Amino acid sequence: MVNPSLLVGIPLAFAFSIPLFSLISKKIEKYIPVVALLINLTISFVLIPQVLEKPVVVSIGGWSPPFCINLVIGPLGIFLATLISGIGFLISIYAVSYIKKEPTQKYHMLFLLLIVGAIGIVLTGDIFNLFVFFEILCISSYALVAYNKDKEGTEAAIKYLIQGSIGSSLILIGIALLYGFFGTLNMADIASRITSVEPTYLFISLAFLITGFGIEAAVFPLNAWLPDAHSSAPSSISAILSGIAIKTGVYGIARMIFTIFNAGSILTFIAFLGLLTLLIGEMSAFRQDDIKRLLAYSSIGQIGLIVFALGIATSPGVFASLFQIVSHTLAKTLLFLAAGYMIYKVGSKSITSLNGMGKRMPLTSFAFAIGSFSLIGLPPFAGFMSKLSIVYAAIQVKKPIFLAFIAIALIATVIEAGYFFKIVQNLYFKKGENIDKITETSGYILIPIIILTGAIIIIGVHPQFITGLLKEAANELLGRATYIGWVLGGT
Amino acid sequence: MQLITILMVSFLGAGIVYLAGKFFGRARNLLAVLISLTPVVLISLTYNQKISTSFYSLPFLNLSLGLRIDSLSWFFAIAVAAIGFLSVIFSLEYMRNYQRLNFYYFMMLFVNAGMLGIVLSADFLSFYIFWEIMSWSTYLLISYKGGKAVAAGLKYIVMSIAGSVAMLFAIVNLYASYGTLEISSLASLLQTASPGYILFLLLMFVIGFGVKNAIWPLHTWLPDAHAEAVSPFSAILSSILVRMGMYGFLLIMYGIVGLNLLQRLGYGLLNFNYILCWIGAITIVIPIFIAILQDDAKRLVAWSSVGHGGYMILGIGIATSLGFAGGIFHILNYAICVATLFFVAGAIEYRTGGVRDLNELGGLIKKMPVTFIAGLAGISGLIGIPLTNGFISKWLIYKALIVGNYPFLAFAALIGTWGTILYGYKFLHNIFLGQLPEKYKDVKEVPWTMQLPMIVLTLAIILFGIFPGIPLKVISMIEKSFGVEPFSTAMFGMPQGIGELNTINILAAVLVAGGVVYLLFSLSAKSRKVSQEDSYAAGSFVPEEKYQYSVRFYDQVYRIIGPYLRDVVDDFYYWLARKSKDFFQVVRQIYTGNINTYALYIILFLAFLIFVKLGRSLW
Repeated sequence: MVNPSLLVGIPLAFAFSIPLFSLISKKIEKYIPVVALLINLTISFVLIPQVLEKPVVVSIGGWSPPFCINLVIGPLGIFLATLISGIGFLISIYAVSYIKKEPTQKYHMLFLLLIVGAIGIVLTGDIFNLFVFFEILCISSYALVAYNKDKEGTEAAIKYLIQGSIGSSLILIGIALLYGFFGTLNMADIASRITSVEPTYLFISLAFLITGFGIEAAVFPLNAWLPDAHSSAPSSISAILSGIAIKTGVYGIARMIFTIFNAGSILTFIAFLGLLTLLIGEMSAFRQDDIKRLLAYSSIGQIGLIVFALGIATSPGVFASLFQIVSHTLAKTLLFLAAGYMIYKVGSKSITSLNGMGKRMPLTSFAFAIGSFSLIGLPPFAGFMSKLSIVYAAIQVKKPIFLAFIAIALIATVIEAGYFFKIVQNLYFKKGENIDKITETSGYILIPIIILTGAIIIIGVHPQFITGLLKEAANELLGRATYIGWVLGGT
Repeated sequence: MQLITILMVSFLGAGIVYLAGKFFGRARNLLAVLISLTPVVLISLTYNQKISTSFYSLPFLNLSLGLRIDSLSWFFAIAVAAIGFLSVIFSLEYMRNYQRLNFYYFMMLFVNAGMLGIVLSADFLSFYIFWEIMSWSTYLLISYKGGKAVAAGLKYIVMSIAGSVAMLFAIVNLYASYGTLEISSLASLLQTASPGYILFLLLMFVIGFGVKNAIWPLHTWLPDAHAEAVSPFSAILSSILVRMGMYGFLLIMYGIVGLNLLQRLGYGLLNFNYILCWIGAITIVIPIFIAILQDDAKRLVAWSSVGHGGYMILGIGIATSLGFAGGIFHILNYAICVATLFFVAGAIEYRTGGVRDLNELGGLIKKMPVTFIAGLAGISGLIGIPLTNGFISKWLIYKALIVGNYPFLAFAALIGTWGTILYGYKFLHNIFLGQLPEKYKDVKEVPWTMQLPMIVLTLAIILFGIFPGIPLKVISMIEKSFGVEPFSTAMFGMPQGIGELNTINILAAVLVAGGVVYLLFSLSAKSRKVSQEDSYAAGSFVPEEKYQYSVRFYDQVYRIIGPYLRDVVDDFYYWLARKSKDFFQVVRQIYTGNINTYALYIILFLAFLIFVKLGRSLW
């Protein structure tokens, strides 16, 4: 059996070995993340069937939980870890030819560290460890946002840094409160004893944690850093931030609410917050002329939808939320990667400068169109299935308030359709200027684009590939007693 | 299995045509024709059969997707396949000078496949999936021409998505309530539902289908889209694609909810069907006036398309045996006529270098006789002149209105016909009659591949006008499946009980009268032939370039009613769009760009959470 701690260990080890490898040859370094993440992806695929059979708890240091730092690899953890490794792998392929600006060595290191952080967050069973991984993720993304070293990027990175640090300190306070109440940092241990503390005290801690994770998850009104950061980072980083990083924030919120605090009373509020985020994100996106800002705002909208579905908190609701995470990750990564290269070719981020790209860069434009269709939720693409599950989950709870919510969410879909369809028209049906010399990309750039396009279509046509895993993952979130049982033994 | 084959051939065929175009060039056109012909053949083989199969399952929602065919879906499927086939043939020559033909043929076949999927679906999830596939591929095809078409395409898709989310809401609601989406099971399950719930469902579906079928006030996308799309696709769009909305109406109203339940919805005059009838009537009347004033040939036909959708709504809204027959028959008739007219407009565009402006055309009758005859047949069918198919269906609708005692609705329908005569004549006259402008001296008739679809459709117009029994037989089967007393027909018209109508007698009368007129003319003195360029004006000489009978047709009418005839609904939508954009701009200002406010948001949010909680636990 493969040791699941390798999932964190491999990217970490490779990250710090990059300087060593570059002593041998400068050319190797950009392939290191590809290799590392390929190994990671393979390991996680190998682990999926094992985990589905019986979740794995890895104790570090020879102690048994709750006295040690441990990794809990349940269905949710392995699902997210696979997603992260997979998307990270594809983006690292893209970066091989996309990242040319020095210092590339630092880029690749930071990128791998970001992945380490993300995987660590979803696998760890210890809340302080969670914080540490969270910081690894955040700090590497602050640095990566500023990677272009232009004014825009630096400003965005500083804004992100300030808000992110506020978030981290809030999380830390929340964790400190919990430690004060329970004297333990093991999530399962806290969860099992959660009823022993006065709920009002607990709520204070929960409020700090939700706000803290909410910042990374980009929930309204905590998401003001996102449009700047996602749009001024290099496109490969925008892709990983939109695709992976904000989802870890959602994971944090979900873990806190469902597993640790079992806070049923706040769920409707969370759903409402999600809805608000959705509306504001879509409305703001509609008015953007900068393609990357538009995509960033649309990420806010989609996160809103994910959080909304999470707030439904029934088995179909959480399932739908996770499904939406998959479809959004695939589509948004694809969009950022495709748009990134088009921007690179035309040298401008404005939407109108992409006019007529359908002829010049057919594959990339096609991928962009598929990605947008999927985000809007059109069949037969992945986004349709996930949106359908969300609508179903919201209606299935049979509460009037959720009926109203989902009706509003569907109206937001119309807004979303409005701007995405406009871009697709720009790509294909408008005449572009000064684009005659532009040619289709080749080589490494196309590999992730094609794979992601294929994945969107395949999951859209045959969602059964992932629904089984997603169902188990949703059960993990909702069945906190089983989670506690895995870690602490007994039932 | 047959049904799966039909869909597989249509969807995969589209892809194969695309690939063929990429790699083998010339083979594409032939392949496109063959692929579009296959469903015609396969569907006609399923005549009068009832098949249902399941083709896919979605375990995570516990749903299985299925296909089925019955008389209603057969009726629509054969129309979709046939019109699609003819349009592809028409495209061969018409599209020759366009770019990106691989994409074009791919999309044409794909849209057709989507429509076939819609009518063959046995459950609402597959229905919705195919519906959306059709919607977005239509959007791509409308936008295909670029230029103005881009705005038209966007308008279409936004309205269409608004409609389909309403539909999705209803469909998922059905699933959450009944645990199944299969149409046949829903039909029986819904019989026990509360009237309020049914009304909610119907309302949602009416929005969804109403956008497609362009019923007032959801019609505003249609004129732009139909005018700006390439003509072969306009033909599909206007004739059959928008009628997917009608299919939807028939399916939800009579296939599922059922006549019994519908009649109990509402009180007295305020019942669902009666209101729907009035919406139909409004949809007939308003567009008629707008159509009269159009100078763009395709826009004119497009507006007539909105108006005639109203007849169909009216027909099925009355919901008597006669009404159904009229409404459903009119779907077919209108599809045939309007496809013909768009082909005619396309043929004119093809030969005159893209001219659609009715003020610039004229006198083409001698140059393009076949096109003229097709145009004449199409317009006659629209107006409902005896011996054309439109006559029968309109006759049935009038009869239903009169028998059902709806004088005002009948009056609205009559206004519609009068208007149709006016704009129909304008269309015909301004293109084909009058003087021939100098620049069209060398215009030739279109190539045979473009003539063929027009000829076939012209023959169909006359065939169904003389032998209405052929389609009415299928329609009476549809009625039987709705639980309405089926409409008994003879091959040549209506039996006694409904009102005397015998098309053979009419045909005989017309032939005799025609013979008499011919005799009289040939016996009387020969008339002097005047050249088409001759602009005779009461003896005085008028320079040719200055005189055109067809310019500013109905100008007087325009001056009188023009000012009142703004499309208020469209203005409203534009206003709404503008206001929403302004509002979005305001919303965007939340992100001020100032880090201080952002930090403030975070702290306020945290404070809000804690205060609300403390507040709730203290009080």
